[in-house]
Amino acid sequence: MSVRLSGITMQYPGTRALDHVDADFTFHEVHGLIGENGAGKTTLVSILGGSKQPTEGTLYINDAKAELTSAGDALRKGIAHVSQEGSLVASLSGAQNILLGDEPRNRLGIIDKRRLEKRAADLMAHWFPDVSINLSEPVEYLPMADQKVIEIVRALRGDIKLLILDEPTATLPAREKENLWRIIRSLPKRGVGVVLISHFLSEVKALSDRITVLRDGRHITTLPAPEVTEAQLVDLMLQRSGQATSQQAIHEQRPFGPVVLQLSSWKVGGVEVDGLILREGEILGLIGLTGAGHFGFARSLYTGEGFISGTTLFRGKSVPNLSARIMKANGVAFIPDQRMENSLIGDWDVRENLAMVHPARGALGKTGILSPVREETHARNAMSLFNVKAHSSAQKIRDLSGGNKQKVSIGKWLYGTPDRYNLMIFVEPTEGVDIGAKREIHRHLKRMASEGAAIIVASSDLMEIAEISDRVIPFVSSRAGPEIERAAFSESRFIAAMAGVTL
Amino acid sequence: MSAQARPAAEIRPHATDKGKSQWLLKYSTLIALVILFLGFALTVDRFLTTSNLLNIVQQISMLTIVGAGLTFGFGAKEMDLSVGYTVGLTGILVPLMLISGVPLPLALLGGTAAGFAVGAVNSMLVTLIGIPSLIATLATGSILYGLNFMTTGGRAIYGGLPDTYLWLGQGQFLGIPVLAYAMVLFVLLAWFLMERTIFGRYIYAVGGNLKAAELSGVNGRFYRSAALVVCSLFAAVAGMLLAARLGSGQPNAGERYLLDGLATVFIGMTMIRPGTATVIGTFFGALFIGVINNGLNLIGMDTYIQSIVKGLIILVAVAIVSRTTKLRLL
Repeated sequence: MSVRLSGITMQYPGTRALDHVDADFTFHEVHGLIGENGAGKTTLVSILGGSKQPTEGTLYINDAKAELTSAGDALRKGIAHVSQEGSLVASLSGAQNILLGDEPRNRLGIIDKRRLEKRAADLMAHWFPDVSINLSEPVEYLPMADQKVIEIVRALRGDIKLLILDEPTATLPAREKENLWRIIRSLPKRGVGVVLISHFLSEVKALSDRITVLRDGRHITTLPAPEVTEAQLVDLMLQRSGQATSQQAIHEQRPFGPVVLQLSSWKVGGVEVDGLILREGEILGLIGLTGAGHFGFARSLYTGEGFISGTTLFRGKSVPNLSARIMKANGVAFIPDQRMENSLIGDWDVRENLAMVHPARGALGKTGILSPVREETHARNAMSLFNVKAHSSAQKIRDLSGGNKQKVSIGKWLYGTPDRYNLMIFVEPTEGVDIGAKREIHRHLKRMASEGAAIIVASSDLMEIAEISDRVIPFVSSRAGPEIERAAFSESRFIAAMAGVTL
Repeated sequence: MSAQARPAAEIRPHATDKGKSQWLLKYSTLIALVILFLGFALTVDRFLTTSNLLNIVQQISMLTIVGAGLTFGFGAKEMDLSVGYTVGLTGILVPLMLISGVPLPLALLGGTAAGFAVGAVNSMLVTLIGIPSLIATLATGSILYGLNFMTTGGRAIYGGLPDTYLWLGQGQFLGIPVLAYAMVLFVLLAWFLMERTIFGRYIYAVGGNLKAAELSGVNGRFYRSAALVVCSLFAAVAGMLLAARLGSGQPNAGERYLLDGLATVFIGMTMIRPGTATVIGTFFGALFIGVINNGLNLIGMDTYIQSIVKGLIILVAVAIVSRTTKLRLL
């Protein structure tokens, strides 16, 4: 009674997301799946849920070889996947969402509203008899936890044996979590196995029967949950022994220059930051759990989106109205996350993308007339500076690998005569990037800092933050917590700080 | 660094396959145009004569100018459905001014200003109020249509137009119609702006990925507006030339420039950079439409048949583009 994976490998251009992973998930356990971002958790559950097909390896359901061609195919074979983002239709009621695509109809083919509500209520009562949720209200008015439960019930409406929950509690306030925990714990007794992905290690440890650790696409170990401590899990996830300390040792102390940025009583969106000071040459890391507000803060610092109140002193001068154009004119660079959405133009070639921030540098004098020769020279220089691997500068961005796309996304700020930025803001600078490109990008970040730029890096990759930052500000529930100095860096300190615990 | 020397394994494997099909796509429209041209040349007696070829050039010159303007709109992913009525607007405004004694340069300036005004209103509706351009320009087009008929009472304006003005639409210079020079001038201007200036690059940028452009420090609102203003300005020029060619201002003369103009852009999107509107592509699109219109006319095909043929051509062009690229217009 299990789903077993054998030698599962997932090869992307330039990256191996999974490398011969063996694992088994039984139908009477909660199985925690942990690992850093980029360790391969999401790819693994996508394969388990049928939405991705492995390049190598075999999947067995109850010891019979099986192939999952799509998410629908996996559902028919008893495996359901509830993704992190939520997949409910906000304007429909809980009952309508639960039976979406499988509505009871009357003889005329019209949805039978009464039977629909009855069946949804029955399903709810069958799975979670002691939970009461208003199923006739549009789900957008329900608490997040209730929405999650509705998603789970919808996933369970077929004959499901294995339920994959990807970060089910990430967006929930603490008091709503407990109900969901009880619901998750109740499933194995009723013959439904759970695969649980969560960044909250305490949660994984408390809920799981067994825990599997992934690191860099490899299966590290699978352990019974009671036999391992949270600290040991952190060690397994990060492999702290040796490597991390040696990196810490080679971190050279750069001399910091004058203050570049000073924020006081900043309120932006729901986020509050008070008393932030950043100097030339300094790299400040921002960390936090999903939804902690550090990404939004980093972005707003450049775009002014959601800015409510606060003082922004930029090199001693007050900047009252923040906007991308004003900040760019002040010598601020912003390299956002989700590069294909926020930074690059997929249809354009490498050269045009590189020229996007400072096209005037590829122009003739100050005429605004572009010179193809100049553009090509600058593009080649930027490509070689960042070691962008492409057939030529005329290759479409869309056809590059993730790492090379990211290098273009950074490189476009340094196209032409690379000047020194006052401030560079990075969000997830190595998201979906292979390890080689990651090292190169880190090297560039340090180089640019040593050339005098103040740098802010918001990242969910704690190893990355530990490696490159001089200071770290943890964000907890939309607030900036007390700073952590480099001397005090440790993964456990970070994880505790993100959870709002002071050690 | 020699970027070419990188091992191929690090680059997506299907990139070269795609290259081949893209090559075929890029040139298929051109090949179709040549076949069409040869077909008419061999089967229709009067097709391959100097006077007919010059006639084709004259017929497509206004269309090309409208299409070149629309190319800016498409570049920024903004659609202008009011161009036909903008053609009509300046096509009656300028003759009206001329008849009431306004000097020609001033009248042309007035027509240009009217085009600018239409573009300004369109872009305010789109970028300040936030109405999708497809809908905003559909509505302003309807308003312009009404205004055009209101101003003229539905009648044509003619008589008393100065010879210099009529020369623009009917005259020749060195044996070639003045309209042909105008067409070449505006195509070159549009090509230069779109392909060789930061202005054009940014228009394509806001169309390619508005969010990425704005986060790169590009003023998205300005360039989206600018694209719509250029659409109207080029339509205004076409309208002024059209009235000069017709020798009169007619309130409904511009109508067909909307559909034909869109068709030129769609056909153009199948070539050069498939999926993207380019000025050169649009020029060939106009040539395509011009050859078909002219050939079918010579055969004696009814205009409603021509309309059916054009509809089919638009469908085929858009089908090709949507099947091979990620075409998104709204």
